[in-house]
Amino acid sequence: MEQRTSSPYPGKDRPVLAVIGVLLVVSTVVFAVTDHRKDWRWYQAEFRKMVAEKFGAEKAATLPAGMKQIWVKDLGRADRCITCHQGILWKGFETAEHPWKTHPVEPLRTHPVEDYGCTACHGGQGWAVESEKAHGPVHFWEEPVLGKAMGEAYSIQGDDKGALMQMNCNVCHRYDRETKGADLINLGKKLVNTKGCRACHVVNGRGGTIGPDLTYVGDKAAEQYDMSRLGGQKTAFAWHVAHLKNPKELVPDTVMPSFGFGTKESQALAALVLSWRRAPVPATYRPGVPRTDPQTTEEIAEEERMKHGPGAWFVSTGCFVCHSVSSLGVKSAAQVGPDLSTAVEDTQKRFGKTVDDFIRNPTGTMSVVLSRQIILTDAEKEVAIQKLREAFAEHQKQKAEPPSAH
Amino acid sequence: MSGTERAVSAKPGTPAPPSAPGVHPKPFWSFRPRSDREAGDAVVSNFLLHWFPAKTYKPSLDWNYSFWLGTASAALFFLLVLSGLPLLLLYVPSVERAYGSVKDIEFVVTFGSWIRAVHRIAAHLMVAAVFLHLVRVFLTGAYKNGTGRGQRREWNWVLGVVMIVLTLFLSFTGYLLPWDQLAYWAVTVGTNIASSVPFVGPEMRELLIGGRTIDQATLLRFYVLHVIFLPAGLGALLAYHMWRIRKDGGLAKADRWTLGSEKTEAPPAKTKTWSLLGVARGQAPAIRAVTLEAADRTVNSVNDLVRRISIVVLGTFAVVSILACFIPSPLEEPANPMITPNPAKAPWYFLWLQEIVTDTTLKIGSFTINGAFLGGVILPTILLGLLTVWPWLDRSPAGAAGIWFHASRKRQNLVFLLVVLLVLAFTIVGTFLRGPYWNFYWPWQAWPELPTRI
Amino acid sequence: MTTKTDPPAGAETPSAGPNSRRDFLMKAGIGAGVVALVGQAGASLRSLVPNVSYDAPTTVKLGAPVDFPDGMKFLPDERLFVFREGKTFHAISAVCTHLGCTVRAEALSKVEEASVEGKPLRLTHRFQCPCHGSKYSGDGTNQTGPAPKPLAWYHLSVAVDDGQLVVDLAQEVGHDFRLTLA
Repeated sequence: MEQRTSSPYPGKDRPVLAVIGVLLVVSTVVFAVTDHRKDWRWYQAEFRKMVAEKFGAEKAATLPAGMKQIWVKDLGRADRCITCHQGILWKGFETAEHPWKTHPVEPLRTHPVEDYGCTACHGGQGWAVESEKAHGPVHFWEEPVLGKAMGEAYSIQGDDKGALMQMNCNVCHRYDRETKGADLINLGKKLVNTKGCRACHVVNGRGGTIGPDLTYVGDKAAEQYDMSRLGGQKTAFAWHVAHLKNPKELVPDTVMPSFGFGTKESQALAALVLSWRRAPVPATYRPGVPRTDPQTTEEIAEEERMKHGPGAWFVSTGCFVCHSVSSLGVKSAAQVGPDLSTAVEDTQKRFGKTVDDFIRNPTGTMSVVLSRQIILTDAEKEVAIQKLREAFAEHQKQKAEPPSAH
Repeated sequence: MSGTERAVSAKPGTPAPPSAPGVHPKPFWSFRPRSDREAGDAVVSNFLLHWFPAKTYKPSLDWNYSFWLGTASAALFFLLVLSGLPLLLLYVPSVERAYGSVKDIEFVVTFGSWIRAVHRIAAHLMVAAVFLHLVRVFLTGAYKNGTGRGQRREWNWVLGVVMIVLTLFLSFTGYLLPWDQLAYWAVTVGTNIASSVPFVGPEMRELLIGGRTIDQATLLRFYVLHVIFLPAGLGALLAYHMWRIRKDGGLAKADRWTLGSEKTEAPPAKTKTWSLLGVARGQAPAIRAVTLEAADRTVNSVNDLVRRISIVVLGTFAVVSILACFIPSPLEEPANPMITPNPAKAPWYFLWLQEIVTDTTLKIGSFTINGAFLGGVILPTILLGLLTVWPWLDRSPAGAAGIWFHASRKRQNLVFLLVVLLVLAFTIVGTFLRGPYWNFYWPWQAWPELPTRI
Repeated sequence: MTTKTDPPAGAETPSAGPNSRRDFLMKAGIGAGVVALVGQAGASLRSLVPNVSYDAPTTVKLGAPVDFPDGMKFLPDERLFVFREGKTFHAISAVCTHLGCTVRAEALSKVEEASVEGKPLRLTHRFQCPCHGSKYSGDGTNQTGPAPKPLAWYHLSVAVDDGQLVVDLAQEVGHDFRLTLA
């Protein structure tokens, strides 16, 4: 038998190793279970039941399962709200409880969900998929959901307790004089214009220099405010409300007078002021930004004339893009092709065909255009031929007439 | 036939082909070797096991000598690499997307928050483990050479010092990656301390952060350092460190047994060389060997050493896995160069430096001592320098190697412990007792309420 | 030198009573550990399977039905041909089934009335791929060239909220699919 060294270790160590094996299993099970038990699974299951009840099992089967997000690339937001809030676009759940409630339709007409996401308007931490972390307030996420709960906490005056959300509206609607649906902000803007804030402060880029520049005051960090004289909750919003009500109380050596603002006005102005932030809003999201270079009044009048004049057919088909039809008053911007007033003659001269043949069997460039770009049915081709003859007739008439001012 | 082993033959009845020396005849090695030779086989034939000697000295296996801190450090490093691999594919090193990618890992990646927690906890534990390992090696004088010929333990110690610096740097580069307020300002503080080195400081800082401000270049440099160069460097040094351990004859504690052991005659081994004499007379020349291995002091590495290593490695994995289920990883607000959090603290393993910097920034009359330079550069350089050359300054005898608190090293051990305790004390002060504006707060004193936006 | 001829006392003999239970438990513990490690490795791999998509959404709003006159409209962003005949719509993908180039539509000189999968269809165009010359007939059937399959038809619907046409690029339908407006 071969040599074998005795060893006291197996007896001691094997049980320890076995215990560690068990510990590993325990840890694996713990993290696997913790990861799986998420609230959104329950919310989705409940909604599936609600839809099955109301619309039938087939509709319920179309509901997506799993974590979902709206990725708005232009705003850099990935909003996972729709993981739980599955009912926002479904008609029929207007009276349901959150998170299954249908979203009010009006705002979505102008702010479709796929272009804006959710948090751009409502606030909240869109990255999260758990209720508390998503809605906030959360340590280290300074954008809680600005909803009714927040409004109640601040005792926002008026019926609309969710008015604080308008702070986010104003990030894009900043340069509107008045925004439909943003009454709190509108009140604030009205006050700015009637109470003369610009006498001392720069507001939206213009104003006086006695007081601090307020253009981006919404970006000022909460730690940078002097909260020592502020009672109650120490937030930037509360500071502004108190300051607007009585400036000297918060800043003893201020020259800012008291305007006699009540709670409602102070809250409106505080909301407005906090919305003045350096937010990178893409041009397409700014209201009022021109989408094209504007036309002059003459250009508009000309277009109207061509659309309703004798040559209207050539405008509606798109022929006028390349061809003018001067006898009928149609002017082409490009004038790539010849004037169609003399088409009847030209087709004969250039191609040795009648205009009828040419339209029915075009050659050259026109064969490409008429097969890919402007598709005319046989009936429409007959109309084309007829219109071209009309144009030619008109052209000959005009040639015969003595010249007159057109 | 000589004493060579007969290989297992493929077909019964046919003689097995002779195996070349060193070639392992069987496809698998045994984890339950039935003899010493089988145990030795495993070490020879398995790639991972090749780094072990066939036999290990029992004293080396003691829990209460080394506490297996070196193995734990290596296990944590291994765990960091493994947990870092999925993170490598999930994290985006761009200043616009880094924060969002970490939020994604926390919220929408399956097991993401656990993987991140494992990585973070293993990182903090590794800094602690390598530090404790360094303390242990110093206090046992294991950087000293024993009786072996050609031992170079002092060189292994230097390797170790370099490795702890690399570990700290790995942790520091990783700290920046989430690009939140904590990360951004910790790196600001750290790189500003680095820039206080005279003459080359500002250039060093510029090279490190790829410009004058901490921005995309910094993130990319730190990221590449963190995932490629530093782990590769640390891994290579780890391999070298272990190779040196083998070359130096194992742990220092085991040296004593070679000191006192007598030569015992090993049974004469038959050689494989043939001489005419051997063929003619049917005898092969025999080797007369002596061994210094005290047989009652050694055990087979397979499976005793392997088992203990498994306990430490798997135990580390288990502990980190469980902790990761309960300790969430922090993520503060997105990095904002305009707003400094109050207080802005370096990572905990650098807080002793930050504390010293504040304490050494003194005004004497009209002269201000530059605390950043004194406490942040001079002091750590002196400490590190002393640490590196200490094996050559140590005058204690060779017999003190591998013994806890040997009498001949009492004074240096005490001084060392004092320095260690001071470092720990400064760390504790910096972590728990410093609040906004770096004011001093007892643990029971509440910090001033931090205001929020709304 | 310790030479043992019998197995040393510390070793387990599987057949003995209490030892075998301990032995089994220890083996079970170690085995469980191995399984757990494999599980954790698997978890790491599962973390790499994305749960949320940063890709463009597959259900795309195409515009109000009134923006689609009778005939064919090509939508380059969705790579889609939308056909309208009165109140009936269908959509054919412009992605060549060979290697993914965008095919070009060419109006037929004479419109054909065909029956496709049992339903009548007015074929006004044929399709041709500029990359390798695949040709498709008016309903997307591959005729010549390297294309292995017909052009895909995609599901059309009307959005509940604003009545726009919606194409589901993740849902292929048969050549008998028609969206008929109310």
